[in-house]
Amino acid sequence: MSDINIKKVSYLAKLELNEEKAALYEKSLSEIIEWVDNLKKLDTEGLEPLHNITEKSQNLRNDEVLKENSTEQVLSNAPEKAQNFFRVPKVVE
Amino acid sequence: MNNDWELVIGLEVHAQLKTESKLFSSSPNQFGSDPNSNVNFIDAGMPGMLPVMNSGCIEKAIKTGFALNFQINPYSVFERKNYFYADLPQGYQISQFEYPILTEGFVEIETENKVKKIRLERAHLEQDAGKSIHDIDPKYSFIDLNRVGTPLLEIVSYPDFNSADEVISYLTSLRQILMYIDVCDGNMQEGSLRADVNLSVKKPNAELGTRCEIKNMNSFKFIRQAIEYESKRQIQVLESGGKIDQNTLLFDTSTGETRTMRSKEFAHDYRYFPDPDLLPVHITEDQIEKVKSTIGELPQQKLQRYVGEFKLEKDVAKIVISEKAYAEFFENLISAKLIQPKLAASWLVGDIFSFIKDKDLQIVDIADKSSKIIQLLEMIEKGTISSKVAKDILIEILQNNKEPVLLVKELGLEQVSDNEELERIVDEALIGEEDNIEKFQSGSDRVLGYFVGKCLKATKGKGNPKVINDLLIKKLK
Amino acid sequence: MPTIKEIKNQLSNKNISVQELYDDYYDKAKKSKLNSFNHLVDPEYNKENINSSQARYDEGKDLSLDGIPLGIKDLFCTKGVPTTASSKILEKFIPEYESRVTQNLLNDGSLFLGKNNCDEFAMGSSNETSFFGPVVNPWKNKNNTDSQLVPGGSSGGSASAVAEGICVASIGTDTGGSIRQPASLCGVVGLKPTFGSCSRWGVVAFASSLDQAGPITNSVEDAAYLLNSISSHDPNDSTCSSHKRDNFIESVGKSFDRPITVGIPSDYLKDINSDIAEQIENTKKHLSKLNVNIVDVEFTTTDFALSTYYILAPAEASSNLARYDGIRYGYRGEGNTLEEIYVNSRSEGFGEEVIRRILIGTYVLSAGYYDAYYRKAQKVRRLIKNDFQRIYNEVDFILTPTTPNEAFQIGKKLDPISMYMNDIFTVPTSLAGLPAISLPSGLSNNGLPLGIQLIGNYFQEKSLLQMASLLEKEFCFNE
Repeated sequence: MSDINIKKVSYLAKLELNEEKAALYEKSLSEIIEWVDNLKKLDTEGLEPLHNITEKSQNLRNDEVLKENSTEQVLSNAPEKAQNFFRVPKVVE
Repeated sequence: MNNDWELVIGLEVHAQLKTESKLFSSSPNQFGSDPNSNVNFIDAGMPGMLPVMNSGCIEKAIKTGFALNFQINPYSVFERKNYFYADLPQGYQISQFEYPILTEGFVEIETENKVKKIRLERAHLEQDAGKSIHDIDPKYSFIDLNRVGTPLLEIVSYPDFNSADEVISYLTSLRQILMYIDVCDGNMQEGSLRADVNLSVKKPNAELGTRCEIKNMNSFKFIRQAIEYESKRQIQVLESGGKIDQNTLLFDTSTGETRTMRSKEFAHDYRYFPDPDLLPVHITEDQIEKVKSTIGELPQQKLQRYVGEFKLEKDVAKIVISEKAYAEFFENLISAKLIQPKLAASWLVGDIFSFIKDKDLQIVDIADKSSKIIQLLEMIEKGTISSKVAKDILIEILQNNKEPVLLVKELGLEQVSDNEELERIVDEALIGEEDNIEKFQSGSDRVLGYFVGKCLKATKGKGNPKVINDLLIKKLK
Repeated sequence: MPTIKEIKNQLSNKNISVQELYDDYYDKAKKSKLNSFNHLVDPEYNKENINSSQARYDEGKDLSLDGIPLGIKDLFCTKGVPTTASSKILEKFIPEYESRVTQNLLNDGSLFLGKNNCDEFAMGSSNETSFFGPVVNPWKNKNNTDSQLVPGGSSGGSASAVAEGICVASIGTDTGGSIRQPASLCGVVGLKPTFGSCSRWGVVAFASSLDQAGPITNSVEDAAYLLNSISSHDPNDSTCSSHKRDNFIESVGKSFDRPITVGIPSDYLKDINSDIAEQIENTKKHLSKLNVNIVDVEFTTTDFALSTYYILAPAEASSNLARYDGIRYGYRGEGNTLEEIYVNSRSEGFGEEVIRRILIGTYVLSAGYYDAYYRKAQKVRRLIKNDFQRIYNEVDFILTPTTPNEAFQIGKKLDPISMYMNDIFTVPTSLAGLPAISLPSGLSNNGLPLGIQLIGNYFQEKSLLQMASLLEKEFCFNE
């Protein structure tokens, strides 16, 4: 049985779950985690994790500037903006 | 430190790399532009956007590896550091975690005339975040993403520092080295170099204490203040029986105090995993050798050479090497071997530096006057003109671009060193000075200075002070 | 259903104009009640492209896909055209850039009818998680013609539209089976190319190491035409391969000039129902007729593929979906603080399945669980890759069923794990990054289409399409 801290997980993911939803998702997650736990049966000692199926090296681009868009385009879908800034409620650090 | 408390400090320095474009996008890597004008769709974290690596960043990382004595890793991996913040459009920062590009380096610093080795654990490449402006509106904060994706090299030291002096010495050297190898422009006001200071206190032979992290410091003065304040604070807490909570702090420059950032529950679970949009970086021996050949002399090497080969005084040499531009200017002056390095150095750190500081110029602004300065220095060396005259001519060169040789001829400023003529002047100066001669003979050296001055005035400053001095002494005995 | 070649001939012979053809499909799409489009492009928007296309036909200089009306899964960023990922959180998003894949299609002269409905953020196997409502399969259960059936997912809208004939073809994406499974349930052809074959630049990311664009068509030949267009190197996608692409059309319909071996994995056939078993048996007969060597093979990792997938895909998704925060684009929830905006935008903007997968993904990456789940799954992924490579030492292709069942009823409310089991035959191939195609092979007892899956080796799409085209001729599904 997995010990899922749904509160922590949803906090990290910036999701708010009311009590009912939290319980439902916790159950759902527990079941899924139990289901995927069958991986424990496999011996993977000494195996390298597979990050990229291509297994090649990162290609590099030249250190050049390409200006392909305008400030307007970057801000065009912004829900709230002001004078070329994105606007959010005041953040206190 | 008071009451035998020991200070233990580790530093994480973020250096912005001096590349044309950003780490994973081709946007301009520039400071001070209009808001959101150096942002492309990748930087803004738009749907479907993907990162592509800038080769210039690898090159700068390799250079840094050599300069800081790091092991350059042929295999390194980019990972995502996942967290939410307004200036982090993707909701993650692309950084390096398990396999950084550089490991195990060191820098030697000098404090109180002792050399100390500061060990560096690792250095890795990562994206910088954007900027949030919090203080122009009571209700809102404003986000500028220009800085998103700017390449950073994060250099992590072991907790080897035991004083603010050591920290400042290290940061000074580090900044100097990075500027020398053209990796970072060292402009701290613009945020090119920032440090997170990890500080804890302990009693001798005790275990390490709990540390607090003071984030994002970009001024040597404030770093010193912050260290002083925080160390006092921690000592106070511990001495009154309390314990230190591991916290992330900000230094408030207006109050001179550290304070906790809004502490976040679960805040530090970054869920690092290799970025599936990127492949591992493989660096070949060839690439490394190629970069190695582009690194010029490092500050430490120049210092050794200036002291060893040119016989400069260490303190003078340190000033000359303090900026690469100064060193280059100096080396340019002596390159044709027409003048003694010591002479060139002393004029550089003396009158030349005074001039440019006075006029708020950079050394590069007077680079075109180098050949004239060389001529001037040659004349000084040969004794053609006196130091006093030379000072005035220097100003004429730097300010009005005058030709020194011509000027000296024009104004008849050649130094008078002729013994006969000077002897005549000395004799004349001594006339009617019986009182002062008596003072000198009974041990007053100040009188000599008075006589030298009188003779110089008579020669309109052109007299060779040394010859005058020797003649006076001969005559007064 | 007319093929691309047939349509192009009609256009070249002036039997129909580009405008007429486009209007015909547009009308059909407009009238369709199956909800397979989130957005139909305003014909005015396409006017210029239609005219240019016609001009090229008039001069006899038509491009490979000139004038062909396509559906595009609403996961591809199409400049100036709404791109929603079938999610409330992107409901009003209009990209200022064109994805590489759709740009290629435009460069080859095709016309976009609209954006196909799909499961939200490509997460689902029945197209029931879409914010814009479920898509309906054009096929009906002959024993229950009242009930509406799912088209499969996540590219359910694409498959349904192609099957209904309201677009000539569609481009979908496949992460764990999202092209192949709906193709199978809708009786059309669906190809997932090798990972790295097509650029992911401009495709709304679900699971970066698995996502791949691919064609959904009425014929294998059409799939080859589309693959020619969409498969290209893209330096803007670091995971996109730089090798020189084959001409995928060249060998379609041609016999092989060398002996071909097809392996059928016994472990895939363990618990299949009689309908599916019949498809496999039938296919074996056709393969024999084509002088193909059939051998039994066995994987050791099949039982672990779904677990591996449902750890890795949600993990990557949880990170890829972190950018949807209501700040720079998309749905913004109410809030007095930044935190409130994040939480409300995301909680209100994402649907249930997306939230579930984000939670799973966050969990398996979190401190204390990373090694046991994410890292472990990546190791098993290597085992799966090696398993396939072992089998490819002996065979050219692998034959499996595409789906474990026929199309089921909309609203059946499967629990998550049962829904995930729909991907049982397609997920292993995705994890290995191999190319695979689903071909409609026949009908179930209820008269519903079933497909078989042919899997090829890395970047062997040309021979894969060749093999598929030969089988297609045998199946005569469309007749």
